[in-house]
Amino acid sequence: MNRQEAEVVLHNRFQLSRFYDEQWSTIEKLLDGERVLLIEKTGFGKSLCFQFPAILFSGITVVFSPLIALMRDQAKRLSSLGIPAKCINSEQTKEENSEIITEAKEGKIKILYIAPERQENQEWMEATREINLSMVVVDEAHCISVWGHDFRPAFRRIIKLVQLLPKGLPVLATTATATLRVQRDIEQQMGGNLSVIRGNLMRDSFRLFVVKVNSEDEKLIWLGKNLEKLPGTGLLYTGTRMNTEIYSKWLEHLHISSIGYNAGLDVESRIAIEDGLMNNEWKCVISTNALGMGIDKPDIRFIIHTQLPQSPIHYYQEIGRAGRDGEPAYIILFYHPDDISLPLAFIEGGRPTVPKYEKVIRAIKNEMLGEKDLMRKTNLKKTQVRVIKADLVEQNIIREVTSGGKKKFEYITGAPALNTKVFEELRASKTHDLEKMLEYIDTTESRMKYLCSYLGDESNQTFNNCDNTGQKKIKMIVTPEWEERLRDFRENYFPEINAETKETCLVKGIAASFYGFSNVGAAIHRSKYEGGGEFPDFLVSQTLKAFRHRFGQESFDLMLYVPPTVSGDLVKTFAEKIAQALRIPLSHELKKQRLTSEQKVFENHYLKHDNVADAFIYESPDEISGKNILLIDDIYDSGATVKEIGRYLTHLGAASLAPLIIARTVGGDLHDE
Amino acid sequence: MTNEAAYWITLAHIPGWGYAKINSLIVRFSQEYNLSIGAFFQLPETDWQALYGLEQKDIDDLNTAKTELPNNAFLAEQLENEGYELIPVTSPDYSTTLKANLKLTHAPVLLYIKGNKQILQEKSVAIVGSRNASDVSLLFTDNIARKVTKDFKVIVSGFAKGVDKQALDSAIKYIGQSIIVLPQGIMTFDTGFKTYYKQIVDGDILVVSTFHPRAPWKVELAMARNSIIYGLADEIYVAESSDKGGTWSGVIDGLRKKRKIYVRRPEPTEYTANELLIEKGALPVDFTGTRILDESAILAKERDTEYEKKILELLKTGEYTAKDILKRLEIDWSDNKLREFLKAQKEIETINKKPLRYRGKQQTLFD
Repeated sequence: MNRQEAEVVLHNRFQLSRFYDEQWSTIEKLLDGERVLLIEKTGFGKSLCFQFPAILFSGITVVFSPLIALMRDQAKRLSSLGIPAKCINSEQTKEENSEIITEAKEGKIKILYIAPERQENQEWMEATREINLSMVVVDEAHCISVWGHDFRPAFRRIIKLVQLLPKGLPVLATTATATLRVQRDIEQQMGGNLSVIRGNLMRDSFRLFVVKVNSEDEKLIWLGKNLEKLPGTGLLYTGTRMNTEIYSKWLEHLHISSIGYNAGLDVESRIAIEDGLMNNEWKCVISTNALGMGIDKPDIRFIIHTQLPQSPIHYYQEIGRAGRDGEPAYIILFYHPDDISLPLAFIEGGRPTVPKYEKVIRAIKNEMLGEKDLMRKTNLKKTQVRVIKADLVEQNIIREVTSGGKKKFEYITGAPALNTKVFEELRASKTHDLEKMLEYIDTTESRMKYLCSYLGDESNQTFNNCDNTGQKKIKMIVTPEWEERLRDFRENYFPEINAETKETCLVKGIAASFYGFSNVGAAIHRSKYEGGGEFPDFLVSQTLKAFRHRFGQESFDLMLYVPPTVSGDLVKTFAEKIAQALRIPLSHELKKQRLTSEQKVFENHYLKHDNVADAFIYESPDEISGKNILLIDDIYDSGATVKEIGRYLTHLGAASLAPLIIARTVGGDLHDE
Repeated sequence: MTNEAAYWITLAHIPGWGYAKINSLIVRFSQEYNLSIGAFFQLPETDWQALYGLEQKDIDDLNTAKTELPNNAFLAEQLENEGYELIPVTSPDYSTTLKANLKLTHAPVLLYIKGNKQILQEKSVAIVGSRNASDVSLLFTDNIARKVTKDFKVIVSGFAKGVDKQALDSAIKYIGQSIIVLPQGIMTFDTGFKTYYKQIVDGDILVVSTFHPRAPWKVELAMARNSIIYGLADEIYVAESSDKGGTWSGVIDGLRKKRKIYVRRPEPTEYTANELLIEKGALPVDFTGTRILDESAILAKERDTEYEKKILELLKTGEYTAKDILKRLEIDWSDNKLREFLKAQKEIETINKKPLRYRGKQQTLFD
């Protein structure tokens, strides 16, 4: 088929008039059964490069993509063009996915989007015996490189698959963000006979700004003053989930239309927010960088970072989603020198210490273990176990297998010793990347040029789309009025306690503060561990404020408090004060029936759960039956303690149990990113 | 080789193609034309026909097989991910013993393994016998295992009930190395991998299968894998056999191929066919595994074996008449005996001259 003929088909099936040259070069090669690596900026139209040939092939095209939102949108759009496209991912039900797999086997689907983790799914693996495969696409191909910013181990398997595919079966790998080093890594992994087509990565619709501030407060104030002056709808990225909540509540306090998003939300909520974003329901969606990576929204008019990203390539990818329609997009980065501690923590603390690795290796050498059992046997946090196992798999010391339908890790016969040098190399590389990010912030030259040349895009073009090259610099002006508003917010903002489960009568509770926010955490620590006496009065008044905010005029029949492990009567005395102020009868009868260790000794929630399971007892159950109870505790972390008490009291017939906590931590490994 | 796994899986399991046919093809493309398997599959049909003399039916089979390559790529990736290795007949890791014993006609094209593949290169001993073996047989099995392990030889068995299981358990007890030859696909051995996890991790057990990775157990596969067990072993010990069934046919076949097979001399009170096997040429051993020597018969047999070796060596160097052979090597056989022997050797070809001459055939991949 020549280009003219193809463009006729393009018009008929896709309602587009012609191809870009790079698109056609790519398509030609794919139609010839070749392999192509396509590196083009966001908004270029990489998808057409596989969607077009896919409709000409007799079999199915499988597209591996880690971006669920994106695959959903693309499948929808293709279906509306009359092209049978479906996706399989974890947001759909098992039945939906099974149904689609059957359709694929029957040849009813032309393009099938799949998350790389799906390779581990039994049903899918069996289906691959029967499908008639015509082409394989690897989207976000930079994920296969450890030198890239978003390495995902599941992609290793996809690359292995590509290496095993017969010659003559076309393969397309695409990405919008690859430095030359990453590009070479991809080329090397995908093997011979790979053509590379690379376009320029310059985004002339961007207006790039960097704003240096003197405190976190200044960021909040600037946003309060200026967010509504920005055009259209946009994204606000924070560095932590805690900050997502804080910024979101701050904007809410100011009645600025916004919504908070994080990866811990349930599927329906996430989809609702993604859909709302597409429809410009809010001025701003606030999130960690988990969102936006897959959103196919053409008119994101601004992207604001309140926290420094780990490298220019992370930054380039995170801002990449803005202004796809070619209209101007405001790209703003706030910077305070303290901000560097977060990415540094990722780099330094990114890896657990070597003895922890050896603990894991010893455990697995002894027996085949799944993730849960491994966490139990080694007393390590989920994130630590995941980082360690990923590294051990990388180094061919262990492998993940399926045994009895479950995923387990096994030691590889004759495996080499742990290579810690490569950790050093990676750490050095990441530190270097972070320094480059600081360079971006400090540069007085064109910011666009800086980003492009970091990515390997050398051009002699001059740019004037940033605050160093013609755009007006953003000034930071703090007025007493705004300082007052911020103070007002701080004293009236209370984090929620979401401990409800289907099996208990627990309801949504409230905390007086985040542990690390304001001086609450320090005060608690002083009293508990530094002999500072009772919890100070301001904690009492803040907690009462929180209570009123959440429960208003609700009445409670009874108040209980979590019996202590080591902190003596601190919580008891605190509960007495609260009970007196709220005039709720206080009972001291909730006791521990066996010794437990301090929860904080246990790194993960499996062990924390084991620690408190069946630990509590209440002597007179009729005092509980049918009652609405308020439960006091000083710290809420994983929630294992509160949930266990909830389970127990539900068993005794309590009508409802509401947690009222002094401080909520941000960790708690039930809600890891 | 790793990236050609899909091609190997595809070729090894073409329906209706036996090992002899596939191995011949492999010899031609890899030795004669120096092609990789991938390159062979990519050849145009005209080449398959003209250069390889393949018939239309074969070409159709290959074309059908080619359509399964992508599907087998998924399978190959899954196999690699789960830690299985593929060893095709062309690989230096392939067991030389297996190749020597089964030769081109019967050597499996592809071995699926998990564990320490170095074990394939060690000296090995198979211990076989009935599933319903008596306690005496099981004790014998344990004795052999102990003896063999002391000599650092590998024990080959089939994971069936009875003697097989005993052989494996004893090997583990005496901290020896063993090969388990499965009567089913390697991906169906879930519980086995769990049970023997430590030994596999420590490098003491190697699991081998020659069947499609997902093939479930079938009686035909159990029978077929017996010849693999024999093929992987240098020596074979038979604990107990009846006069029909897998063990019996395995021994008969092995004797025909002139394999060294030791059979336990049973107690007079036992109901076994062991004695029958000894009469047919198996070597008797006692309960501890020690050879029972029937002096003259043994000596005569040993001498004959020596002569046979010498004859084959000689014929590698050129062509000779029967008389020449007897004279040069000073062998006291009759002409008839020699001719019978030569006729039965696959590696010897007869040259039609007057008088008849004999010569060793040329082969490279398979000796």
